[in-house]
Amino acid sequence: MASALRSAILRHIRIPATQAVSANGLRLTAVRLMSSHDDHITKDEVIKRVLDVVKCFPKVDPSKVTPEVHFEKDLGLDSLDTVEIVMALEEEFKLEIPDKEAVRIESCEQAIEYVYNHPMSS
Amino acid sequence: MSQILKRLKVPPNSASLEEARTRTFEFFRMCCRSIPHVMEIYNLHDVVTPSQLRSAAAAEVRKNANITNPKVIDMLLFKGMEELMNIVNQSKQRHHIVGQYVVGNQGLVQDVSAKDRDASNFLKKFYSSNYS
Repeated sequence: MASALRSAILRHIRIPATQAVSANGLRLTAVRLMSSHDDHITKDEVIKRVLDVVKCFPKVDPSKVTPEVHFEKDLGLDSLDTVEIVMALEEEFKLEIPDKEAVRIESCEQAIEYVYNHPMSS
Repeated sequence: MSQILKRLKVPPNSASLEEARTRTFEFFRMCCRSIPHVMEIYNLHDVVTPSQLRSAAAAEVRKNANITNPKVIDMLLFKGMEELMNIVNQSKQRHHIVGQYVVGNQGLVQDVSAKDRDASNFLKKFYSSNYS
């Protein structure tokens, strides 16, 4: 609950990256070089990569895969296949999804939402 | 060493089928997470992809999908954990992994090229029965 609220708030806060001028006249930029915080992946990229992972799964018919598809109801997969897809997503986005949250990912939509809201996904 | 062994405990039996099921998924996740390390230590990058190994692990779990006795599932999980530990600790060699999880049940003899189809049936059966 707290994490959902936090991510909802963090997604709506925008801090403008303006150029600051320091006291002695040197211009300081708000761009942080070598920082990984600015290049968080976009929603479109998340959708594309999640769908690619699901389409590459051997038992899935690639033509049936859409962003709203449910793994067990629409694609005819079983619970073990679902776990396998979630593990493939972990590998693709370099995440480690805790077990309690992994069991709640049952459709492409939930997977996209989870990956997009995860701060470490890349 | 003895200190570690004293602390090492086998977890208590699963009380219900649901608990055994959860444990199976936990074990499968653990297998999947060790795949990158396994590919590194056995130098498997040129023969297999992580997703193929994941599917092979899933197939091993699925072999026992019809079992409903929690005690039997616990026993199988213990054996699976033992196997995983042997693999991760490199108690095995590369050909064990390639034979069991990369080449799989089809064995070394696969009818892929025209040359293989002409080979004698006797030899094919001999290879498949003596290969493990």
